[in-house]
Amino acid sequence: MNTTTNSVVNNNGENPVPEKNRAIKVISKAAKKEQRWFYIFIAPWLIGFIGFTLGPMIASFVLSFTDWDLFTAPNFVGLENYITLFQDDVFWKVVYNTFFFTIISVPLSIILSLGMAYLLAQKIRGIKFFRTVFYLPVLVPVVASSMIFKWILAPDTGVINRFLSIFGVDGPAWLLDPTWVKFSFIFLAIWGVGGNMVLLLAAIQGVPEELYESAEMDGASKFRKFFHITIPIISPVIFFNLVMGLIGSLQAFTQIYILTGGGPNNSSNMIVPYLFSNAFEYYKMGYASSIAWVLFIIIMVFTLIIFKSSSIWVYYESEVKK
Amino acid sequence: MFKKVGLVEKVVLYALLSGIGVALIIPFIYMISISLASGETVAKMEFTIWPREFTWHNFVELFSNAQILNYFKNSIILVIFAIIGQVLSSSFVAFGFSRLNGKGKNFLFLVLLSTMMIPGQITMIPQFIIFSELGWLNTLLPIIVPNFFASAFNVFLLRQFMSRIPRELDEAAKIDGLGYFGIYWRIMLPLLKPILIAVAIFTFNANWGLFMEPLIYINDVEKMPLALGVQILSSTFSSQAVPPWNIVMGASLLLTVPMLLVFFFGQKYMFEANINSGSSGSK
Repeated sequence: MNTTTNSVVNNNGENPVPEKNRAIKVISKAAKKEQRWFYIFIAPWLIGFIGFTLGPMIASFVLSFTDWDLFTAPNFVGLENYITLFQDDVFWKVVYNTFFFTIISVPLSIILSLGMAYLLAQKIRGIKFFRTVFYLPVLVPVVASSMIFKWILAPDTGVINRFLSIFGVDGPAWLLDPTWVKFSFIFLAIWGVGGNMVLLLAAIQGVPEELYESAEMDGASKFRKFFHITIPIISPVIFFNLVMGLIGSLQAFTQIYILTGGGPNNSSNMIVPYLFSNAFEYYKMGYASSIAWVLFIIIMVFTLIIFKSSSIWVYYESEVKK
Repeated sequence: MFKKVGLVEKVVLYALLSGIGVALIIPFIYMISISLASGETVAKMEFTIWPREFTWHNFVELFSNAQILNYFKNSIILVIFAIIGQVLSSSFVAFGFSRLNGKGKNFLFLVLLSTMMIPGQITMIPQFIIFSELGWLNTLLPIIVPNFFASAFNVFLLRQFMSRIPRELDEAAKIDGLGYFGIYWRIMLPLLKPILIAVAIFTFNANWGLFMEPLIYINDVEKMPLALGVQILSSTFSSQAVPPWNIVMGASLLLTVPMLLVFFFGQKYMFEANINSGSSGSK
């Protein structure tokens, strides 16, 4: 290679232009080759993205303005699906149920998992055993946990009602009772709280000991230390759990399909099961697509609200605390 | 804060831990109890939380039930192909984003990350149409094939780990005459083995208990994976009025145990991936 000679020539200022061009040409050839390989390497994702995500998203958007039933050609109906949707009592009911489930189960899961993580952070004998036990429910596939909860929630013989009867409380027929059925799914969500817990535990264990020590010197109680040191330091993880929990809850499907099918009288039906039955039971593909887009917007709005609020309550090490 | 624990505190701690532990374990015990119940108990539907009957024959029945074994086999096929697809394609794409340059790279990576935000329901109906046009209904293909086109999360994770491998290795390999594919295949993949195992475990977890996709794509009982099979087994559309709950719970156990095994043998890899994915990873 004569790049060194080239640069010398350039430095001397003698006829620099053609030499420089040649250097660029050499580089650009290698860069071109690299670029070609870049596209080859990312091709699987790019093709998948266009074929399975972008294309279908556009198609779904277009479909939401049609009345397609899968068998005859789709008709363009403008905003009709969306108008029908906003006048559909069942849709409002499933939205209400989904919000009810999300707004109770997500914060409750976070509070409980925080408490559990705090207990598991203690340095006492046998704590590893408890960590494993607390995590086990997370490993159970939703289909299997739904099968178990069908019996946990059974009216007379179920575990929960037997427990309540100790206190003389006559528990409801959870899965059959329109007012209580939503709580069945909250129970199920809480049983699987261990996923949040492990992340919070790791965060709690990562809080620098010096912070606690200096607080102790100031005579801070355990309670104060937890709320004024631990919680602020781990708030980014709480934030992460909140976002993921929210997105997951808004998309609840399997447990509802298996345990109640949305019943009785839609009192446990939620957005995704309703979307599913419209699409694959009634073949209202256009209508189902419009539900999907409304769900997408709901998820975006919820996420955005949490992101916006995070500047108030999420603490990052890099910022200087006032 | 977590150092000195007094005796009274210790007692309270153990009481709380045990109380929560028992509450969380009861559903498992109940599952085992029902799976061991006799046919008469099933007919009366009077199960006890603590197993009182030990009808081990239920498990003989379970493992000689051709239908259930077939569900299990389908699940195994599904996860094996999903894992192969995900490990190969995600690492391949991650290599491109980590080691090579091309026009629009940053933009494309941003697009990749933002796809994680899109709920699956948006693309569900058009995907169904695509796969039915391809004649893939009643096969596992609609569930397996997308795994060969990489997942955003796995690409992100693998790119993080690749960026920590020194570039001098690439240069040395180039001098030895390896091309980009050679660097990926002979240098990167062997070095990334632990994290590739983690990706395999995540893919297993995501696909083993999958329910909605099989429900959409598969009607033929012969083609169903176990999670959907368990649901079919528990529904009463057939002649019998009461589903065989002991067998249903046995099948639920069969669905759960592989998850537990993979967790116990793979947790060190999962832990490593979780801890490291968030931190560092320059560029």
